[in-house]
Amino acid sequence: MSSAQAKVVRPETETASPMVDVRGVRKVYRRDAEELTVLDGIDLQVPAGEFVALMGPSGSGKTTLLNLIAGIDRPTSGQVIVAGTDVARLSESDLAKWRSRSVGFIFQFYNLIPVLRAVENVELPLLLTRLSKKERRERALTALKVVGLADRSGHYPRQLSGGQEQRVAIARAIVGDPSVLVADEPTGDLDAKSAEDILALMETLNREFKKTIVMVTHDPRAASRAHVQHHLEKGVLKGD
Amino acid sequence: MKFLPFVLKHLRRNWIRTLSTVLAMAVCIFLFCTLQTILASINGMLESSSATRLISRNAVSLVFNLPLSYGARIAAVPGVKRVATTSWFGGSLPAKKEGKADEGSETTTDWSQFFPNMAVDADPYFAMYPEFEIPPDQYKAFKEDLQGAVIGRKLANKFNWKVGDHFFLESFIPPYRKKSGPFEFTVRAIFDTDAVKHPNTDTGLMLFHYKYLYEGTGQRISAGTYNIEIDDPSQAGAVSKAIDAQFENSDAQTHTETEQAFAASFIAMAGNLAFLLNSIGLAVSFTILLVTANTMSMAVRERRTEIAVLKTLGFSSMHVMGLIVAEAIALGAIGGGLGLSGSQGLMYVLTHAPGIKDMLAGIGLSELHLKPAIAALGFSVALGLGFAAGFVPAMNAYRARITDMLRTV
Repeated sequence: MSSAQAKVVRPETETASPMVDVRGVRKVYRRDAEELTVLDGIDLQVPAGEFVALMGPSGSGKTTLLNLIAGIDRPTSGQVIVAGTDVARLSESDLAKWRSRSVGFIFQFYNLIPVLRAVENVELPLLLTRLSKKERRERALTALKVVGLADRSGHYPRQLSGGQEQRVAIARAIVGDPSVLVADEPTGDLDAKSAEDILALMETLNREFKKTIVMVTHDPRAASRAHVQHHLEKGVLKGD
Repeated sequence: MKFLPFVLKHLRRNWIRTLSTVLAMAVCIFLFCTLQTILASINGMLESSSATRLISRNAVSLVFNLPLSYGARIAAVPGVKRVATTSWFGGSLPAKKEGKADEGSETTTDWSQFFPNMAVDADPYFAMYPEFEIPPDQYKAFKEDLQGAVIGRKLANKFNWKVGDHFFLESFIPPYRKKSGPFEFTVRAIFDTDAVKHPNTDTGLMLFHYKYLYEGTGQRISAGTYNIEIDDPSQAGAVSKAIDAQFENSDAQTHTETEQAFAASFIAMAGNLAFLLNSIGLAVSFTILLVTANTMSMAVRERRTEIAVLKTLGFSSMHVMGLIVAEAIALGAIGGGLGLSGSQGLMYVLTHAPGIKDMLAGIGLSELHLKPAIAALGFSVALGLGFAAGFVPAMNAYRARITDMLRTV
C-alpha cells in the first residue's frame, strides 16, 4: 500500500473480499516497432465500500488503470477482477453488458448528450434493461433526486452549470445501481465551490449508499476526501 | 422502439444539415418515382400494341403522307391480312362549342380540351382492333353516317357525350383544315374495352371515317399511315421488309414496323427514353448516396465522444452501429416519404390541371398516377440509400475503441 494513503472511516470494509482486485497488470501500447509501457506490474486491491483516490503526475498511468478497472480497456497481461468478474476474459459484447450492470463512470467533462434532457441522459443506461418506460423514468428521477437535481430534470445540458452537469453525470452513473463507481478527475473542470459539492456528493454515495469509488485526481484536496490514496509514477504504484 | 426517440432527437441536433439531407433525399425519390411512373405509363401504352399489327409510314418522317394507291399494293403483299388507311387528325374542340368558330381566326381552338382523334377506314380498322368493343347496332349507325364518330367510354364520360350528340373539331394540321370551318361530328357509337384482357387500352380517343376527311378537304389529302394486320406475328419482320421493298424506288418510300415500335417512335423514341430516364434516376440516386454518406460521416465524427460514452455506459458496438444505421435510415424514410408525397402531388396536378391533363391524354398518358409498386420501390430505394450511407460510418463506430474516441475531443 502507498505510504501516502490516508485512512478515514472504513470499519465494515476491513474484512470484506476486494471489490476491485488488480493482479500483476501490465499495459503496453505499441506504435510500429516502438513499445510504451504505461502500467508495469500493478497490484491493487480495493475492498467493497472503499473510496480510493489514484494520484500521480500526467502520464503516470492513472487513467489507464481506471479504464482497466472500468472495463473499457484490456490489460496486456495480468488480471483485473471487479465484483468477482475477470474483466479481461470477457468478450466485447459480454464486457459491454458487464459495464452496464457493474460500473458507473464519471467523466471529467461530464459528457452528457446535448440533445437529451437531464432526465433522459440519466435514463440512457436503463434503455439497455428490460424496465418499462415508466419504471425507467421513475428510476432516473430518483437518481436525480439523490444528486439534488430533481427540479432540473427537464433541462438540457446547455441550460445547466458545470457543477449541475456533473451531478447529472453522477446520477447517470448511479442509476443502474452499479457495484463500482469510477471517476476520472470529476472535479477537474469545476470551480472550487462546485468541486466541493461534487466531492460531498461522492462521499454521501460512498457512506450512505455503500458505493465503492475509485477516483483519479490531481487535486490533493479532492484526494483527501478518499479513504485511501494511491500514488502512481511511471506506471508503478509507489510503495507497492 | 425504445431507441426511436433517441435516434430522432439526434436528427434534430443540426437541423439545417438534417433538413438539407432530407430534402436532397426527397428530390431523389421524387425524381425516381416520377420518372418511373412516366416510364411505366409509356410501357403500358406500348404493351397495349398488338404483335399482329404493323404500321407503315413515310420513311422520311411521320409528317409526310403516303399515296392512297399504296393501300392496295400493301394488301397484295403475302402475309398481309388487311390494311386500313389512317390519318392522325389532330382536331381540337373550337373555343365556341356551339356552332362554328370564327372564320379565319387562329385563336378559336380550345387546346385545353385536346384528345386523340383519327380518321380511319372503318371496316378493316375495327376488324384489326377487337379490343374496341362496339355494340353492333351503334356500329351499323356509325357506318351509315359519314359524319359519324366512334368515341371511347372515357371520352364520353369526360364530355358527357351520348349517342346522337354533335360536336365540332378543327385540326391544327393545315391540309386537314377547311375554309368553311371546323368538321362537324355526331356521336354514333361508344366503345368499351375489357379492362382485364386489355388493361392498357385507351378509351379516351375518337375515331371517324377517313372518307369524311378525304371529301371534306376536297379530296386533296393522302394517307397518314397504313395500319396492317398480318397472319403470323412471327413473320412481322419479313412482311415489313417485303412492304418496304415494294416502294424502295418510289418518291415516297415506306418505313414499316410493328405497332409497338411505331408507338415507341411516336413518343419520342421511347427505347432511348427508358435508358435516359433510368440513367437520370441512377445518377441522382448515386449523388444523393454520396451526400447522405457525407452527412452521416460528419455526424458520426462530431459525436465520437458521445459514441465512446454510450459504449462506456454498456451499449455494445452492435447497439451503437444499429443506432447510427437507424439514424441514416430515418433520414432516408423521411426524405423518401416527402419525395413520394411530392411525386403523388405532381401526378395529381398533371392529371387534374386544365390543359395539361388533356395534353397528356392527347399523347396517351391519361393514366398517369403513382402505382403502389413504384411507390414501394421508391421508398425501398430511400431506405436502401439511407442504409448504404450510414453503414460505413456505423462500421467505423463499431470498430472504434472507447479509449481512442475519448482521447479525440
